[in-house]
Amino acid sequence: MSVSDWVSISDSTANKVSPYEVYNLPYAIGHGLWEIIGGVIAWLINIIAPGNRLSPFLIGDFVTNMMGLFIMVVVFFAVIFIVNLTMIWIERKTLGRIMDRRATRIGPLGYLQNLADGLKTFLKEHIMPEKADKKGYMWAVSIVIGSAVLIAGMIPLSPRWFLADYGTGLLLIFGIFAVSPFMILVAGWAQNNKYSLIGGMRAAAQMISYEIPMLLVFASVVLMAGSLNINEIVQFQMDNTWFIVPQIIGFVVFMVAATAEAERIPFDLPEAEAELVEGWQTEYGGMKWGLIMLSDYFRGYVACALGAIMFLGGWAIPFMDTLVLPEIVFLLKVVLLFFIMVWARGTFARIRTDQILNIGWKVLLPLAVINLFIVVLLKIGGVY
Amino acid sequence: MTSKMWVTMGPQHPFSHGLWTLKVRVDGEVITDATPIIGYLHRGWEKECEHRTYPQIIPMADRLCYSASMTWSHLYVMAVEEGLDLEVPERAQYLRVVADEICRIQSHLMWLAAMGTDLGNLTVFLWSLREREIFLDLFVKLCGQRLTTNYPRIGGVRNDMPYLFERDCMRAVERFEKKLWDIIALMDDSAIFLSRMQGVGHVTRKEAANLGLTGPTMRGCGVDFDVRRDDPYEVYDLFDFEVPVSQDGDAYGRYAVRIEEMFQSCEIIRQAMAGMPDGPVRVKAPRNVPAGKHFARLEDPRGEGLMYLISDGTDRPYRLKVRSPIFVNVSASKRLVLGARMADVPAVMGTIDMCLGETDR
Amino acid sequence: MALKYLDKYPKNVALRGWILKPFFTTFKNLVKTTIRRPVTILYPYEKEWIPDNYRGRPGLVFEKCIGCGICARICPTTCIELVDIEDEKMGAVKRPQVNLGRCMMCGYCAEYCPVDAMTVTPDYELAAFTREELIYDPYRLKWENTTKGMEVKMEEHLISNLEKGILDQPSAFYELDRPKLIGEKCISCNRCAKTCPVDAIEMVVVGENEKGKPIKHPKIDESKCVFCEQCIIICPKDALEINEVL
Repeated sequence: MSVSDWVSISDSTANKVSPYEVYNLPYAIGHGLWEIIGGVIAWLINIIAPGNRLSPFLIGDFVTNMMGLFIMVVVFFAVIFIVNLTMIWIERKTLGRIMDRRATRIGPLGYLQNLADGLKTFLKEHIMPEKADKKGYMWAVSIVIGSAVLIAGMIPLSPRWFLADYGTGLLLIFGIFAVSPFMILVAGWAQNNKYSLIGGMRAAAQMISYEIPMLLVFASVVLMAGSLNINEIVQFQMDNTWFIVPQIIGFVVFMVAATAEAERIPFDLPEAEAELVEGWQTEYGGMKWGLIMLSDYFRGYVACALGAIMFLGGWAIPFMDTLVLPEIVFLLKVVLLFFIMVWARGTFARIRTDQILNIGWKVLLPLAVINLFIVVLLKIGGVY
Repeated sequence: MTSKMWVTMGPQHPFSHGLWTLKVRVDGEVITDATPIIGYLHRGWEKECEHRTYPQIIPMADRLCYSASMTWSHLYVMAVEEGLDLEVPERAQYLRVVADEICRIQSHLMWLAAMGTDLGNLTVFLWSLREREIFLDLFVKLCGQRLTTNYPRIGGVRNDMPYLFERDCMRAVERFEKKLWDIIALMDDSAIFLSRMQGVGHVTRKEAANLGLTGPTMRGCGVDFDVRRDDPYEVYDLFDFEVPVSQDGDAYGRYAVRIEEMFQSCEIIRQAMAGMPDGPVRVKAPRNVPAGKHFARLEDPRGEGLMYLISDGTDRPYRLKVRSPIFVNVSASKRLVLGARMADVPAVMGTIDMCLGETDR
Repeated sequence: MALKYLDKYPKNVALRGWILKPFFTTFKNLVKTTIRRPVTILYPYEKEWIPDNYRGRPGLVFEKCIGCGICARICPTTCIELVDIEDEKMGAVKRPQVNLGRCMMCGYCAEYCPVDAMTVTPDYELAAFTREELIYDPYRLKWENTTKGMEVKMEEHLISNLEKGILDQPSAFYELDRPKLIGEKCISCNRCAKTCPVDAIEMVVVGENEKGKPIKHPKIDESKCVFCEQCIIICPKDALEINEVL
């Protein structure tokens, strides 16, 4: 029997045990890839031992589904990871140009600098303070990076590029987004260092106070779309207008709050290097620090992606009903929002602790309430 | 239950520009007590000078402060000339003034850069250093080195202006006056920056005088005194310039005074270049200073520098005392940061413009 | 002269758009630097322009040097030392050796050198693996492309000349100052004549002592003397003094 008898590319949606009812591109890639790899393996086994029962099992629905899901997760994560590396590269390059200097240098246009830096951080020695609380010290990093990657994975890039299409949608993302401040507090405490303690306290205070305007904006978006599901929110925006038009206040509030949540200048008080050395990350070194930095960018990516989904129409192109390369369109929007964050970082100084809380409670919260009010009025008025 | 704790900031801390420590006692985020600790950089400078002949001390005086080397060697040379009762040629005095003002501008730009990083804005840092480079290039042309100028000599200056130096100087000044507005746009036009600077580290006029503050730190608190104008040395009495004084008394006032001083320095350079006379730049000075006590003072970029020289008739000083402006200013740090927040400490102490070389000596 | 900055500032920021102007300024620079390259210099690959008179490490023109030792004495960090070397062409001579680990690049050696044998050089990349490598012997101290601009001239005017209105006669101290002999202290030991690097001292007989031996005193040829003070230092009875011309 030849290879072509074993390798057969079939429709991934026809798989009986597949968890996806609609077409899912990464799953289709994984599915197809395993059909080729598994088919070749099955053929080789069949040459050695003709008529065995392992070969049909390898190309059966069950194994194909399992391995397809596995490859899909790898593909999905690789795409997000590359997007993140690109965002870091964009940030460093843009900041460099703003500051009139040359930023990254390794690789074409300096693109490989991040990999070089990652490798360098990876090779560093593992150092832990003697009097640190070992469990809190290590678990905090794991949960910070874990939650960041988890929410990054929960964001669909298009109707055909997602891990799970679930009804709670945005609510779950916001829920997990709020986990990391508590772990920052734990990390600040566990390091047994005054700087990190103050940094952790600041992080907790800041994130809790910025969570509320963010959730209010989120509520107004959900109210307007009438659904928590990300797909439906984007579809609603495609059918009507993008939410940035009626909810411009909400968009501004969201971007400010998201910048604060992602701990970026001008809101990077928890790691204010001028007075707190490195804030809550002071005692973290080597790859632990690298993971924390990576999680910062994952959170930045999530914040920008949420902004793009909630206000910029997700993967839709203005004045077009059909989707053209929706993943690329979506990522371009994310990068655009991220560029604004980077631009702000190159422009502003850091805000003080009391001022950051003042802005959160006295400016952003009323604005968010006003935004919610406008949405309610529009909804009652029957505009949407 | 007490919630107060001592936080040690320094000697290796991003906020302390140089090796010094500020121990602050914080109640939550509010500072209730503070103690500056200096002395990490003590090199025995004054004692070293007693073993060197008078010309040999000039390059050492450069090392007192890395960004104001010209003014410090100038000050030393002035003190020795006071002892020798030496008349310096007029062209040399003009050249010294030009070099002093270039030094003032580049020192203030260094401070502005540090101020930017203190407040978390790296763009200000790099833009200021970019402008500072132009003035360092002027120094290279004038005296061969960027930082340690070693330019003044007892009885004049090391060399005359190089070819086309006047043109370069004018170009640099004109370019700088335009470019500084870009940096000001990042600082003064930003509500975030103003909210960080205004109203913190407030010192009244009377307190500033009692604490012994000098220089821009003092003028930012409303005391109208400048050695260049009120006790003119060299040819400063021939120039027409304003001494900026801010009545605010907070960190922003001190910031504004320094920015304005840079513009005034440009003005002085322009006037000095226009009125530069011809003639010799260096006279021969005797090697032995007659016995006696002599002192000289000048307006350092950071405050009022003073050198007190006791000579015993040999070719080496018997004692050379340096009155460093920062040594006095840093002792006021407790008063400055008291009641402020932890995040204000870099903003407030940044306006003092620390330089530990001259403080610890 | 009007105040430029304080007149304009501080103004109400609200009228200036709170934070819009900084945004605009940084964007302007972003566009500018994206079109033309940033101003930074990639140091190991590109180097900054430096003038001829840049004060890098000291350099030596071996043939010009007379071994007078002025550089060794003026050096504030005493990093210069005169060493005896056996040169193929010039025989036994004294030449300066510089310990660059201590050198502070003040350029005094070049400035005070009476024959412009010591120069400043634009060489500033001096890192070495050991401290011994940093000690530059006279041969290593040579710098091939010594130009006129690297020689530092010392042009001092005499105060007495300036008072008379003579402005165009600059000179250096080694052209004017001369050692002065205090006759009764001299013991005719001849050491000054032996040590003089330019052979400016000649011992002349000035009389006889009680035993009939000749009394010799040094006579200094003023056209040759470079005022290196070697004779003053070596004199066992301090019979030579500095005669300063002011």
